[in-house]
Amino acid sequence: MAATSAQLERKGAKDGVCTEFTVFAKIKAGHAEALREVLAELTAGAADMSARAALREIGTLHDARHVMFDNDTRFMFASVFDGTWDTYIDDFGKTVVGERFDMVFRHCEGFPGIADPGIKDWFLERQAPAGVFVSSYPDLTVQQIWKDQRVNEAFQEVLDTPEFREALDNPANAALKATPAFQKLMKEAQA
Amino acid sequence: MTAATGLSGAGVGIEIDDIQSGALRPRPVPYEGEFNFLRVDDRHAGRALLRRLIPTIGGGLAGPDPSRDAWVAVAFTYQGLRALGVPQESLDSFSRPFREGMAARADQIGDVGESAPANWEPPFGTGEVHIAVSALSTDAARLAKALERARVAFHETPGVELIWQQEVRQLPTGRTTFGFRDGISHPNIEGLGLPGSNPREAPIKAGEFILGYPCETGGLPPMPSPDVLGRNGTYVAVRKIHTKAAAWRRYLRANTSGAEDEALLAAKMVGRWPSGAPLTLTPEHDDPELAADPHRNNDFLYRENDEQGLRCPAGAHIRRVNPRDAAIIGDARMHRLIRRGTTYGPPLPEGVLEDDGADRGLVGVFIGAHLERQFEFIKAEWVNDGNFIGYPGEQDPVAGHHNGTGSVTIPEKPVRRRLRNLPSFVATRGGEYCFLPGLRALRWIAELQD
Ligand code: HEM
Repeated sequence: MAATSAQLERKGAKDGVCTEFTVFAKIKAGHAEALREVLAELTAGAADMSARAALREIGTLHDARHVMFDNDTRFMFASVFDGTWDTYIDDFGKTVVGERFDMVFRHCEGFPGIADPGIKDWFLERQAPAGVFVSSYPDLTVQQIWKDQRVNEAFQEVLDTPEFREALDNPANAALKATPAFQKLMKEAQA
Repeated sequence: MTAATGLSGAGVGIEIDDIQSGALRPRPVPYEGEFNFLRVDDRHAGRALLRRLIPTIGGGLAGPDPSRDAWVAVAFTYQGLRALGVPQESLDSFSRPFREGMAARADQIGDVGESAPANWEPPFGTGEVHIAVSALSTDAARLAKALERARVAFHETPGVELIWQQEVRQLPTGRTTFGFRDGISHPNIEGLGLPGSNPREAPIKAGEFILGYPCETGGLPPMPSPDVLGRNGTYVAVRKIHTKAAAWRRYLRANTSGAEDEALLAAKMVGRWPSGAPLTLTPEHDDPELAADPHRNNDFLYRENDEQGLRCPAGAHIRRVNPRDAAIIGDARMHRLIRRGTTYGPPLPEGVLEDDGADRGLVGVFIGAHLERQFEFIKAEWVNDGNFIGYPGEQDPVAGHHNGTGSVTIPEKPVRRRLRNLPSFVATRGGEYCFLPGLRALRWIAELQD
């Protein structure tokens, strides 16, 4: 196994801080229905909640899709990660994220299990790098996007308070208002 | 395998006395030590040297009196195992970073710019470092005694060349070159009979540190073959790191308002005060008494009292490299290390702010069964980036390679403090990945035929 990983290089197209990760696997004969059920289950009710929790836990996954195609004989997992997909693979082996991977991929041929030491090679052997991969926000990690969202929401709430309007009119704050940084902020506040 | 309990009180199953002392024993305080690199020009000579060395190599944990401790350890690079004639099939079974060598991994682990292998001190990264013999002891006399036979062997074995030597010793202050005490925190390893320094740390599986035992994934770590070679061995990342003590002092001086603020800022970057007292337990001032108490100086977690990092910033060195139970991306227990920092060079005299040109720093030894998931992961994800704690792009204030553009966020009420334009305070002088075999494995290598 160690010997095979010598030949397998990391691949996947990069744009800014993100890398895409697309894997094609063969669905085990007779498993298509079971896999379809798993996928349906993963998007329903409680499982969907747990998916949200899993995404929080990963913290580096921008989006992911599971697609069955070719008459239910093949399966695609397409995703975008900050850094590379494999950085945290061992960490997730022990978590709900790992469980979800196991539930899906055990219907694919040759899947050794998410906690198997050969798991990286299994994915690498099935990965096809994108010919084109572009991001509209190449500098932003998932962490940064979440932070930006929290800050903006809080900022909008501040704008909605009459006290903030009063503070702007208060001559005591003139020096702050004159700073370029604050003016930048106020430009965002105008619309 | 016998279910050896070992004389040193290790748990059932771990063959503690077959494990080199250099893997597990905390370094003594104070200490004197020496690193020697050897090149093997002839495999028979290399094996002959090894046969002479083996009787001097210590196994197991410290004896009843750690103040008299001394040990010699021997480790091999990939090129070294090759030079000794280890069969190719076996060489191929080692982990990838080890086979490639630390210099080849420079981009991944951030050894770039002034720290790039092109600027390393020879023989680091040249492929000529084959065998590393290190020794640590409490004082110079014991060290000399422990190394006596090894030194004769280095000089009297034709076909083996001593190509590099580095002495390390504790500074008179008991501190490292930046002025902070080191060597406090050690992982709590399951079944070793060697308590960890943090009573709140749940035991980490032995297979995280020693090959041949289950690790935190629940499986066995991939182990080199044959079994006799891999079992009870581990991987070691050795690094010589130059510290810019004057630049460190100048940066602190320039970015603070007085002596007290200066001391606090330095502590916020390290996560401990100069005495070693942790900020999470004593956030406002140093507490040498707490630092001197081995039962208390590492007895803390982050989540309950310090989640936001108002005491110890999430970006502080010790919180990055061991986030304990703090909220981070991933699972901190998958990325633990046994670590031994030793100081080389003279101290920068108290109060001096200008660089005196002296080379000073540390030789850091990072030990674990998984180079990629432990040393390399910690360096790349936790030291060279801050995304895992929500500060993308921010590096470790102490160990990062900032290059004049670094930034550090220090949580504070009402508004966080943010330092900018950090210079690098350290530069990598060189490093090697080594394999530290068990004692039986050493004999196996020494007795290879042809
Ligand atoms: C580059 C210069 C470095 C310096 C000057 C330095 C210094 C220190 C100091 C003073 C401590 C506190 C003592 C203790 O808790 O035992 C410490 C702890 C530690 N360092 Fe470093 N270090 C450096 C680099 C690194 C690197 C590159 C790594 C890992 C890749 C690392 C890993 C650790 C770990 C794991 C701890 C223990 C943290 C804990 O358990 O709380 N250090 N270091």
